Amino acid sequence: MVESTAPLLRIKDLAITFDPSGPRSDRAHAVAGLDLEIDPGEIVALVGESGSGKSLTARAVLGLLPEGARAEGSVVLGGTEVVGSDERTLNKLRGGIAAMVFQEPQTALNPVQTIGRQLVDAVRLRPGFSSATARARAIELLRAVEIPEPERRLVWYPHQLSGGQKQRVVIALALSGSPRLIIADEPTTALDVTVQAEILALLRRLRDETGTAILIITHNMGVVADLADRVVVLRDGGVVEHAEVETLFRSPTAEYTQHLLAAVPRLDVPPADLADASSAADARAPGGEEVALLDLDRVSVQYPARGRRAAFRALDGVSLRLTAGEVLGLVGESGSGKTTLGRVALGATAPSEGSVRLLGHDPRSLDRSELRALRRGIALVPQDPAASLDPRWTIQDCVAEPLVVHRAADVAGVRRRVAELLDAVHLPAAVARRRPAELSGGQRQRVALARALALSPRLVVADEPTSALDVSVQARVLELFNELRAEFGFAALFISHDLAVINEIAHRVAVLHAGQVVETGPTGTVFGDPAGDYTRRLVAAVPIPDPAIQRRSAVSSSTR
Amino acid sequence: MSELSHQLQLTEEPSGPDLGLGARGHWRQRHRLLSSLTRGQGLAGVGMIGVIVLVGLLAPLLTPWHPVQQIPGSHLVPPGGDHLFGTDQLSRDIASRVFYGIRASLLVAVVAVPAGTLLGVLVGVVATWHPLSDLLTQRVFDLVLAFPALILGILLSVVAGPGMLTVIVVIVIAETPIVGRLVRSQVLRVRELSYVDTAQVMGAGGGWVLRRHVLPNVLEPIGVHVALAFSGAIFAESAMSFLGLGVRPPAPSLGGVIADSLLYLEVRPWFALAPLTVVVALSVGFYLIAQALGKASRG
Repeated sequence: MVESTAPLLRIKDLAITFDPSGPRSDRAHAVAGLDLEIDPGEIVALVGESGSGKSLTARAVLGLLPEGARAEGSVVLGGTEVVGSDERTLNKLRGGIAAMVFQEPQTALNPVQTIGRQLVDAVRLRPGFSSATARARAIELLRAVEIPEPERRLVWYPHQLSGGQKQRVVIALALSGSPRLIIADEPTTALDVTVQAEILALLRRLRDETGTAILIITHNMGVVADLADRVVVLRDGGVVEHAEVETLFRSPTAEYTQHLLAAVPRLDVPPADLADASSAADARAPGGEEVALLDLDRVSVQYPARGRRAAFRALDGVSLRLTAGEVLGLVGESGSGKTTLGRVALGATAPSEGSVRLLGHDPRSLDRSELRALRRGIALVPQDPAASLDPRWTIQDCVAEPLVVHRAADVAGVRRRVAELLDAVHLPAAVARRRPAELSGGQRQRVALARALALSPRLVVADEPTSALDVSVQARVLELFNELRAEFGFAALFISHDLAVINEIAHRVAVLHAGQVVETGPTGTVFGDPAGDYTRRLVAAVPIPDPAIQRRSAVSSSTR
Repeated sequence: MSELSHQLQLTEEPSGPDLGLGARGHWRQRHRLLSSLTRGQGLAGVGMIGVIVLVGLLAPLLTPWHPVQQIPGSHLVPPGGDHLFGTDQLSRDIASRVFYGIRASLLVAVVAVPAGTLLGVLVGVVATWHPLSDLLTQRVFDLVLAFPALILGILLSVVAGPGMLTVIVVIVIAETPIVGRLVRSQVLRVRELSYVDTAQVMGAGGGWVLRRHVLPNVLEPIGVHVALAFSGAIFAESAMSFLGLGVRPPAPSLGGVIADSLLYLEVRPWFALAPLTVVVALSVGFYLIAQALGKASRG
């Protein structure tokens, strides 16, 4: 019998192990000795960095562990023991007692069925629904997740919806069985920040109105501060700290939590003093005359129409200047043209209109060898360090590639230079003989930085260099970036969707929206006192990792 | 995960704890494909092929008879005694003909498969050069692939006459489009990868990207395919010799011996046993190797 005071979910001494002969035997004990309780109507956040076991724990609640993984201990969900239960018992729990919302709405919906069909099918899994009442219920669910005109949307296919709307439909699917617990695994990670704010508001409202408890798994401390009542911090498969959300943010007790919170970049704190742009510029330009390293004048990039697909204007009349020693942050949501602008700055994409001057030259007027020479002065730090390093190459070869391509040094010189560069990014010399797969994500991004700096470029284009990294690793890479900039004196175009990261690293910022620069200026001014409407919305949507501030702003923005 | 732990703790300590471990896994990781041949399926395949190759190489030591030598008074002698697998309708030692036949089969495969693969890689790379060259090569591939290899073989031996060279040419022609397609798709795939893009942005030319990034990454699937192609080539050579389009009698070949044995299948069933076993073992052996390599390359 379940008493009314009993927790909805009680995890006791949970251990998840991988079959030692299986594919992930490196993580023999993925989770060990984990305790967790969730009461009805409560929002609990499970926080941790990659490999902390947070997703595994969540999956264990519904008996959805990947192949080769085994759970021990006890997971009692709504009075039923999950560990060791057969599929029939589990199927009764899934959807009815607890439902799951996954990270990527793109793959959670079937692309060839209408959302109405998928909702009706989910509703009819429960007894007592005819096809007519199931349809009514589907409409009701869509209304609950605030999809406008639900009757008409029923016949839409997933591709007709935006990312945020898709995630709403996924949540509607989760709600179809009227679960008492929703397990949301990074539900907003794939979404833009303004959309994330809407989804978080929706989750909070669902809890307030229906009393559904929520277990949210996230790496984003801002999301935690926004939504959670209680927080469980995981590390290496064990609970490090367990506290009320206010307590955790105000006075974290575990050293790890303190580190984690300190590593989170913040938008509400003025940036730490960056090395002054003008002094660095003086050091680089002895002539005294300031030459823009990157000068875009009303640049447009249009991708031509293809078949039935209409022409797409990725950039529309963008004008930007970047002078020596300066870091220009480029923020914008997905589809705003950030990456295209980065490619223009690299000379990899030619503008369809307007003029581009890179390091004082128009790339279109240069012949092949001049263009190659120009490329020596511009380097790219790519987004995903794992994909940007050839898996077959040693780190030595990866870092040396620009030197060899440009025949910048002899064999001994290359060796020496690589050693210098690895030292500059604080990697041990022994790394040179390893291959990318043997390094961690943070170490790989250091290698990518070392490679970018090999030819001492004057301009570095960094395209979301930290978005694939854990927050504590990100903090160290950003720190290193600043350090290297002071040492090497390069200017940078730093592209990121994360306003807080830009806040920490850029002197000036340009806000990109639908291919246009809507606002540009010193970072502190743009983020502290945004002039444009879009920028204001963007800044307001960023969750601040401090529950006291975040709750206040959430209330004020919802009443506005 | 250990990454986080030492990222957090380290105050620029010179060597992370995980870096010492890397060296041990090296051989396995670098030669993932080759190491798959040291166990299970792969080992079985290598063993089968190894034994047969040895038999082919040591043929003169293993049998006192010459493969075309007619031994008086030994018409269709059953296996045993002087003749391990008996003698054929022309009083020749079957064991000797099979052992020397292995040489012919392997010779064809060893020449034809690498030649076809090389040509395929070349054409496949050329195809990715320009949309026009792509269109041209793809349509030619379509044309070649539309014919079953055997029809092609018959056609060719009508024009050029039967012989070992004909068999080799047929295998090369049949092999080239398969490898060509494989290489083309792999090149197109690898070209889109981030590290290739990064190299281009840093100013690397097309030749560098092809040589240093693309081809090494294409080699793995090709290696898997080559093992399979050997299996196919052995089979093709036997089939063509069987039909009289390949190695010309009286020169020994596995297909030829099988063809000879066909007439006597009911009265002297042992006649076909040795050549059939060898052909099947060769095909299966290479197939097992291909399977093991394929599994290893998929990870």
